[in-house]
Amino acid sequence: MAVNKRNDRAGQDVLRRVGEASVLVLVSLADGPKHGYALIRDIKELAGVELGPGTLYGALDRLERLSLIEPLPAEDRRHPYRITAPGAAALRLHLDSLERVSAAGRLRLQLGGI
Amino acid sequence: MDDPRATRLVETVLRCYPARWRQRHGDEAAELAALLINDGTPAGSVAWSYLAGAARERLTLRPGPRLTAVACALLVAVCSLGVSAGLLASAAPARAASTSQTRGHAHCRPGPPELVPGVTPAISRPQVVIWQAGHGRSC
Repeated sequence: MAVNKRNDRAGQDVLRRVGEASVLVLVSLADGPKHGYALIRDIKELAGVELGPGTLYGALDRLERLSLIEPLPAEDRRHPYRITAPGAAALRLHLDSLERVSAAGRLRLQLGGI
Repeated sequence: MDDPRATRLVETVLRCYPARWRQRHGDEAAELAALLINDGTPAGSVAWSYLAGAARERLTLRPGPRLTAVACALLVAVCSLGVSAGLLASAAPARAASTSQTRGHAHCRPGPPELVPGVTPAISRPQVVIWQAGHGRSC
């Protein structure tokens, strides 16, 4: 898997370049498989962001191409997706990176007295 | 989707996606649109999102056999043009020098060739060597 190799090689944060929608989709899938409608509702609840259906499918295709998620067998016309092991690893790495930036930002705001 | 206009609008927009995408997501996308519109999302907003998605899908280049072939053909064409331009550029000054030397002396006699002082012939192209014409020298 391309992403696996890239992650192993440099420990790079592959999610830095996939866009916010893709990260939100991965976060939503982190607690279990979901289909499109459930993803949109969940993301609205957890982040207050209402993804358009076109944006959602773009993100799903991108993440699937990167092997970060995989489709499950269809239920009626709906295809649930689940996060893969490389997807979970990439999400963890990205969240760690965000946490570091967040902590540094808070510290600097404190030091700056703003 | 109870509103037939909304249904028609979404179906029309979904037709903008490539066939491969429609085969994969088409039915699900139509159902998702219906659910969102029933929830109160404006049909225009759903259609616009799909339209933007279709444009992105069409504009995104994916590496494949056809793309690779096109890239190779372009590379070969650029290389050929470069080589041709290089040959023309190296031949032009040589031809000009040759013309200016022969204009005043029409007669040429056999004899040992002599290079024109100050004119360096191209090493890789011995056939473009400039000979001084006239005054008992070969051309």
